[in-house]
Amino acid sequence: MSETLIDVHDLSAGYGGIPVVRNLSISVRAGEVVALLGPNGAGKTTTLLTLSGILQPISGRVDVLGETVSGVKPEKVARRGLSHVAEDRSLFFDLSVKENLRLGLRGDRNERAASMEVALDLFPALAPLVDRRAGLLSGGEQQMLAMARGLASRPRVLLVDEMSLGLAPIIVERMLPIVRRIADETGAGILMVEQHVGLALSVADRGYVLAHGELAMEGTSAELRSNRRLVEESYLGGI
Amino acid sequence: MKDAIAFAFLGLGAGSFFALMATGLVVAYKGSGVINFAHGSVAMYAAFTFNYLRIDGRLRLPWVDILPTHQVNLPVQITISSGGKVNVWLAVLLALAMSALLGVGMHYLVFRPLRNAAPLGKVIGAIGVMLYLQGVALVNFGSENPQPKSILLPDTLFKNFLGFGKPMPGENLGLFIMAVLVGAVLWFNYKYTRFGLATRAAAGNEKGAVLLGYSPERLALFNWIIAAMTAGLAGVFVGSITGALTPTKFTTLIVPALGAALIGSLSSVPIAIAGGVGIGMIQTVTSTWMTGKSWFPDWLQSGATDAIPLVIIVLTLFLRGKSLPIRGNIEERRLPLSPYPKRIGWHVAILVPLGVVLAYGLPGDFVFAGLSGKWSFAFMTSLIAAMLMLSYVLLAGYVGQISMVQLSIAGVSAFFMARMSANGVPSPQDPFAVSGPGLPWPIGATLGIIVAIAVGVLLGIPALRIRGVQLAVVTIAAAVALQTLYFDNSKLTNLMAGSNAAVPPPTFFGVDVGSTGPRGLTDSPKFVTFCVIVLAAMCVIVSNLRRGSTGRRFLAVRANERAAASAGIDVARTKLLAFGIASGLAGVAGVMTAFQQQQISSSNWVYFAGLIALAFAYLGGITSVAGALIGGMLTGSGLISVFGSHQSSGLHTYTPLIGGVGMILTAIIHPSGQAMLFQPLLQYFGRWLKAARVPEWLVVARRLGPYVVLGLALGAIGINPWRTDEWSRPWMMLVGVLLVLFVRSIVVRIRSGGHEPSSDSPAEVSA
Amino acid sequence: MNALLQTHDLTVAYGGLRANSDVSITVEKGKLVGLIGPNGAGKTTFIDAITGYTPVTSGTATFAGRDLAPLSPAKRSRSGLVRTFQSLELFEDLTVWDNLLVMAESSKWWSFLADIFRPLRTSGVESKAEESLELLGLSHLRDRLTLDLSHGQRKLVSVARGLAANPELLLLDEPAAGLDTAESQQLGILLRRIVDSGTTIFLIDHDMGLVLSVCDYIYVLDFGQIIAEGTPSEVRNDPAVIKAYLGESTGEMQAAEGEEASRALRGEGDGR
Repeated sequence: MSETLIDVHDLSAGYGGIPVVRNLSISVRAGEVVALLGPNGAGKTTTLLTLSGILQPISGRVDVLGETVSGVKPEKVARRGLSHVAEDRSLFFDLSVKENLRLGLRGDRNERAASMEVALDLFPALAPLVDRRAGLLSGGEQQMLAMARGLASRPRVLLVDEMSLGLAPIIVERMLPIVRRIADETGAGILMVEQHVGLALSVADRGYVLAHGELAMEGTSAELRSNRRLVEESYLGGI
Repeated sequence: MKDAIAFAFLGLGAGSFFALMATGLVVAYKGSGVINFAHGSVAMYAAFTFNYLRIDGRLRLPWVDILPTHQVNLPVQITISSGGKVNVWLAVLLALAMSALLGVGMHYLVFRPLRNAAPLGKVIGAIGVMLYLQGVALVNFGSENPQPKSILLPDTLFKNFLGFGKPMPGENLGLFIMAVLVGAVLWFNYKYTRFGLATRAAAGNEKGAVLLGYSPERLALFNWIIAAMTAGLAGVFVGSITGALTPTKFTTLIVPALGAALIGSLSSVPIAIAGGVGIGMIQTVTSTWMTGKSWFPDWLQSGATDAIPLVIIVLTLFLRGKSLPIRGNIEERRLPLSPYPKRIGWHVAILVPLGVVLAYGLPGDFVFAGLSGKWSFAFMTSLIAAMLMLSYVLLAGYVGQISMVQLSIAGVSAFFMARMSANGVPSPQDPFAVSGPGLPWPIGATLGIIVAIAVGVLLGIPALRIRGVQLAVVTIAAAVALQTLYFDNSKLTNLMAGSNAAVPPPTFFGVDVGSTGPRGLTDSPKFVTFCVIVLAAMCVIVSNLRRGSTGRRFLAVRANERAAASAGIDVARTKLLAFGIASGLAGVAGVMTAFQQQQISSSNWVYFAGLIALAFAYLGGITSVAGALIGGMLTGSGLISVFGSHQSSGLHTYTPLIGGVGMILTAIIHPSGQAMLFQPLLQYFGRWLKAARVPEWLVVARRLGPYVVLGLALGAIGINPWRTDEWSRPWMMLVGVLLVLFVRSIVVRIRSGGHEPSSDSPAEVSA
Repeated sequence: MNALLQTHDLTVAYGGLRANSDVSITVEKGKLVGLIGPNGAGKTTFIDAITGYTPVTSGTATFAGRDLAPLSPAKRSRSGLVRTFQSLELFEDLTVWDNLLVMAESSKWWSFLADIFRPLRTSGVESKAEESLELLGLSHLRDRLTLDLSHGQRKLVSVARGLAANPELLLLDEPAAGLDTAESQQLGILLRRIVDSGTTIFLIDHDMGLVLSVCDYIYVLDFGQIIAEGTPSEVRNDPAVIKAYLGESTGEMQAAEGEEASRALRGEGDGR
């Protein structure tokens, strides 16, 4: 069995001491794509922010890459090998595509050049745009840039938040398989928050469904797909 | 035309200085989002460091020895060369190292703790740094104001520079080359290096930078060091161009630099360099060439150069501004809550008679023997300062508009009244009387206040599209321009150079209520009473405005301009109304200052005195009338500062320094100001006293007793905070107790993670 | 037809991005009209455009027969077109009561002179403010600072504040966001009550349950375009709507599973 990269046990997390997420236990192993599903306000983004150290857990254990993240500054967690593609994409609009990518690179000169190439290979649509300012890209291009930048550091753990937000379905259908490819090729563990349930489960190995801050369901993608009714009800407030 | 170009080259030196300063402002803004009003002071400190190293070979460290004993001393200077002079380039290096140290200090001690503060809090932090550095310079370098010598190409003089027929000192060219070089290096840094990219990235999206593993705090630290070092370079190398060094040097010169930095949106180094050089050249052409032309308006002779940066700043910002902030672009942190004034009648009924009693009690030997005039003067100063601070409370506290021009508006009203009261008849007090209509004082004062309101509303127009700290920059530029355009402009004031405008004393139905008392000192109890009544009326007006529909609209605009517009509030009109009322209040303060001083000159209204007044209002509590009153008491040469220097003869040297530290601490620890700190404490204490019985007292005694005893002991042994020998023993014991409790409260606050120390309030203790 | 608010081909573009394209809607007087759509569909941009907070690229909006284009946000508010904000944007330094008064009062610039002497005089709008407080059951919070209230209470204050202005049309931007199911149902009942008392409401939300249960007519927005409109029952059976919400891939979606999902939705709707 491959190494466990994210290990969350009995986590409560939220803002100003008020938990949004309660008693959550999840794990992600190397080479695995795990989907975190659930309706708006279920606490998915809060969970990711806690994993990357931006929010401090209120209680419970959060280990990323074998070490805890509580009390650790987010930039330290990032340097450990975690990459978080945030919901708002957090791009640097005043910088060019290339400069955005450069900031994601790690390692010596050769490693950096190689990583840059890998990132642009995964998202060939970015190659002709390298000198354009990130603020001038379309929504889909911005999302690709955010993903490419997140990958440029060759992360061992990748968190992807709402990749499909505001994107046309056709673009989402093209980008999701890339997530699968990353996990297969680099052996990274990927935790992705998605609204497009069907598409997410088509690439993920396993999934967790959150509702009102608590774990409502979990299982392999096949199990969750066969339980569509339940998943949908958790979205529409039935649970 | 050929002449104009030749004169423009003369402006290269000053322009290059502005360019370097502007670059530093841009760097500091990129790194931490702060517009560093203390930038000029950093340059000043570096320049002093350099020049004193060249004079006596000693390096003065940026602090003073405040240890309470003479047994252990804090090192305040390092002797580099015992034989006197230090080599030029070593001195330059040391001065730059000193600025780097200041940059580190500013990051760790001031702006990092303030990183989540409201914009006004950061402004106050910067003003605190400015005051602190000026205060330290006063102590460390007070003895002599050296005339700096040129370092770059000192002996070169181009006789006919580029064939335009005018000579130009080589220093100008040297400075220009240096500015361009520094600009090029920094441009390259921010364009191509990883550090530079990360800085720009973090400025645009801090969360993004953190998620990629960059520490914004570390980036900010390095940028502060770079910013401080460019200020140091500018201060050291500007050499002879700006005249003799004083602790307040460069504070005014920061305005053109701000203009240059703003042209490039505080983000472009090359534009800041070009803008700085350009402004310097235009200023020189204006002051030397244009003013000599027959078509140049006479009344603009003075002040035209200072009007240029103002016009540039206003135009740049106004054109870029929006009439409503866009979504998600609302100021990140709010000002402290503005309390609802209660029991106004009671306060007036108690405080006014108290003020009158003090007015008559102080000049006699009522409280402190043998001090007569000094106390009354301090009391007047505090009362009038509180009037000015009310204008800040209304404008900044209620409506959230950071204006630094209120003191200058007070000056407008004072100068206008002086001119309206003048009648051109010379007298022994006023040998160079200026011509004027000779109106009686109530009409003159009213006209002065009306003109102040008009000027205030005019200066409020930029606020319709410019917000936050950028508005502060506009108002600083306006204050500097008003100084030279009006107060120093003999064409408008008709004053002989160096002479003051006389203000006749006010009378009420034949009773002289002027500030001169029967002994010929400025201590008339009648005038103090006059001040008390005027201030009380102003406090009631401001409180009532806060309580009524106007106050609701003000606070709505302050809280959220977008939501205010959705409530049908005309945001523009509301802001202008606030500027008008605040300027009226400032105008009254100006008139009363004129009556107190009897002679006014432009030095009464220098722009950084206005900054300090704003900072003291903040110290008192910018959002409440009580805050203005406390701010007035705290103000320089006001009651508390005079009390302090009475107790300790050496204290006045340290006043700016203590003020600066106080401002920084207030901005960091208690942004609501002292009023909001004391009010709930007093309420708690009052309630506690009513309820307290023996067991409650025992709890307190157990908790605080040891500290009180420790304080008393320290005081008795001879704690000697300001190294005075006059400090009487009982006072020292009290001070010892206060100091120990203060230190304890800070420790408690830090332990509880920066939250309010709830365990400290008596009510909780008893619970 | 008694149209209060009408937009015709309203388009808002930021740079190359079209946040709203050719949106045409009609809000009839006395009705509760809803606009739903997933996150990022352009709902708030639409409200911003109608209320003057964001410039309209092309198209028109009329309110009570009057073209809105030349009016400032404050003027639009005073003409009876009042909005709330998704992020609430309450005046946090003021009490609940003062928040309502600010909205209800229409002061002239010289009223500060009267305030100096009689700050606490009444201006005749108090009854309307009192009424809104009562309608939303907030009377007991009257003198509290909005800062101290719970999220749900703040949401209600925001609605009450809008109502205090005595609007003809109240635009509510996600009033149910962050409310739990019970609070959200409670809000639905209150909204219905407001409409019955004569104020027209235009409700924006992504909570399907709330919108489906209270609205008279619904528009569905996705990628800045209206993809469906109709009565609640028409909308809940529209496959395009379900697709927008659950984001199924095109082929998968329109097959049998679409039928199942809409049944699930219906079951949910009946459950209320």
